[in-house]
Amino acid sequence: MTKFAPRPLAQNIYTPESILRHPKRLFTRMWYDLLASRELAWRLMVRDISAQYRQSVLGVAWAFIPPLVMAAGFTLAGEAQVINIGRTDIPYPAYVMFSTALWQTFVDAVNGPVTAVTKAKPMLARVNFPREAIILAKVGEVFFNFAIKLILIIGIFIWYRIAITWTIILAPVALIHLIVFGTFIGTLLSPLGVLYDDVARGLTMATGFWLFLTPVVYSVPESGLFGALVQLNPVTPLLVTTRELATTGIVSEPVSFWIVSLLTWIGLFLTWIAFRIAIPYVIERVSS
Amino acid sequence: MKLQETKTITKPTESETLITVENVSKKFCRDLKKSLFYGVKDICTDLTGGRRRSDTLRTGEFWALDNISFDLKQGEALGLVGANGAGKSTLLRILSGLIKPDTGSVKVRGRLAPLIALGAGFNPILTGRENIYANMAILGLPTQQIEEKFEDVVEFAEISEAIDAPVQTYSSGMAARLGFACAIHVEPEILLIDEVLAVGDVRFKLKCHQRLAELKKQGTAFILVSHTPYIVLNACERSIYLNQGKLIGAGETEQIIQKYEQDLRLSGEGTATGLTILPQKPEAESLGLDMLALFFRNQDQEIVEAPQTGEPAYLCIKCKAHEAIADIDLRFKINYLSGENKQVLDIMSVNDNTSLNAPEGIFEVQMYMPCCTFIEGVYTAKVYVKKGMLSFDLVPSFRFRVDCKVNISRCAFYQPRSWHILADEKGQSWQEIERYKENLILQKGE
Repeated sequence: MTKFAPRPLAQNIYTPESILRHPKRLFTRMWYDLLASRELAWRLMVRDISAQYRQSVLGVAWAFIPPLVMAAGFTLAGEAQVINIGRTDIPYPAYVMFSTALWQTFVDAVNGPVTAVTKAKPMLARVNFPREAIILAKVGEVFFNFAIKLILIIGIFIWYRIAITWTIILAPVALIHLIVFGTFIGTLLSPLGVLYDDVARGLTMATGFWLFLTPVVYSVPESGLFGALVQLNPVTPLLVTTRELATTGIVSEPVSFWIVSLLTWIGLFLTWIAFRIAIPYVIERVSS
Repeated sequence: MKLQETKTITKPTESETLITVENVSKKFCRDLKKSLFYGVKDICTDLTGGRRRSDTLRTGEFWALDNISFDLKQGEALGLVGANGAGKSTLLRILSGLIKPDTGSVKVRGRLAPLIALGAGFNPILTGRENIYANMAILGLPTQQIEEKFEDVVEFAEISEAIDAPVQTYSSGMAARLGFACAIHVEPEILLIDEVLAVGDVRFKLKCHQRLAELKKQGTAFILVSHTPYIVLNACERSIYLNQGKLIGAGETEQIIQKYEQDLRLSGEGTATGLTILPQKPEAESLGLDMLALFFRNQDQEIVEAPQTGEPAYLCIKCKAHEAIADIDLRFKINYLSGENKQVLDIMSVNDNTSLNAPEGIFEVQMYMPCCTFIEGVYTAKVYVKKGMLSFDLVPSFRFRVDCKVNISRCAFYQPRSWHILADEKGQSWQEIERYKENLILQKGE
């Protein structure tokens, strides 16, 4: 009988005009779609997470393996003096493992929207649902995967007896900014990624290169051209701040952290609008 | 009691308009690279709030939909017919709000759901149960309502024993049933049905049709796309007919379907003259027997442009043999071009226990058809002249047309017939039936 519960009929009007010409309507719709997408996002997240490890023998171990392999490799290279890593605040293997886990979370956040939108192509081309849900589900998945990595991180902290300060309770704030920044980049690229395969290929390469410009396996360099490049890299303050809050408690670059954070949130909002505008054009170009 | 009251209030008194489509056009581009580039360009223009000048074509573009207008009221079922590429799916996608129209406007009131055979967002690794939740959530149902309807969905899809098995272990029929069951239980105000009733076995199809009829009674509006005219005819009072993006006709389904069928049959008519004269082969290339011409004669042995449905006809092949050959074999493989280009006949003279002996020189082989049972339209025949494994000559495509003066609307072929009434004054024929029945029982007993 629920079918006959009074339900006001929502009205949708589709015209060729750009929605940017009606900002008020745009913002209301964005707000309602965000509210409407929460439940769906949760469903999609549960679906993706349950499917994630089902066809895998090692399962959750895949969250731990990359940081461990990275740490082993770079520790060996460092001890053999093949690379010059500089001085780190905490024991080097712990430094690499912790940083790699953070870096991986960032890369997940970048790749997430691109792969999710590409994979959801058949769904996007047939059903009109709040598109925000795809992105939100992916962000949720990134947090979930980080939570698993957290087990490893806690393990490292205990094993190496790393002293923590009260600032560790602020670390999640910095972490959220790191993930939001990744999501912003990923969402910006995702419509283009559906149209051109180049985006996915280029992204793998770009994140590989980006890793070398981020203080993950070495400490922040002070000078030189390389040092300047690392300083200009927007991931640097986000990742370094997260790490510092969780360990030493002394934030070395608070100003650049807040600048990047502010730009991240503004960028994310603008990207959201662009994403909504772009998706119909993208669907138009892919067959159902 | 209260529910009853709200029912009468919210169920709008008389047919509220749910969809209004006004002068909608949409353009597409067949060149992939160009199409993608136009897509990026359109995004950029839209992002800067500029005008796309979407009403003009760019190089390589064509109108996939051209100035379409119609409306849909509550509880109404609208049929959408047209050949492949007529723009039916594009129209549905615009109605769903998936893509933007290039001109005109679309107004949609109420929730609209597509009926998709294979569920959108099915993940093959997950179980049927998990997929129902994900799929119905995508179709816009909150979790609480999914839980309420879960049992109904499983029962309708008839997969209760496999509900906890991964969907990749399902047969294609089971997956289709599950997808259909999910979509049909979302209960939107408007349902878009795109060719999906073609899946599943006959019994399940019947069940779907019953369910759709129930929904329609409750006020759900439909748009039904189908290649099979009788489905549209059964379900829809009104139809619209699209051809290459243009609205050819709108109105009563009966008339629209008739027009559509007629157009289907006559497509490609101009190229079928009924007489095909073949180029003469030089003697060196000949294998001993060549076909010279293919044509039809009527029952008075006059050459005709096209045979008539229901009338006798001769299919004639003029041949030339360099020497007398005994027991030649003729074979026709005939396809119906006006329909889906399906093979409709495969005739071999060798199967008819006739012996055709070719004399030396020019002769004519005639295949007598006591009644031409082809329906009107254009056909193509592949013609072989053989003897055993040896092939003398082959005509890859003899195109011909069949004309029709009798009513064969919605028939697959013409059945020659005559009608009688037999009086049964002494009850003789009834006794005959009784005897026949007893015989049957006796046979079974043995």
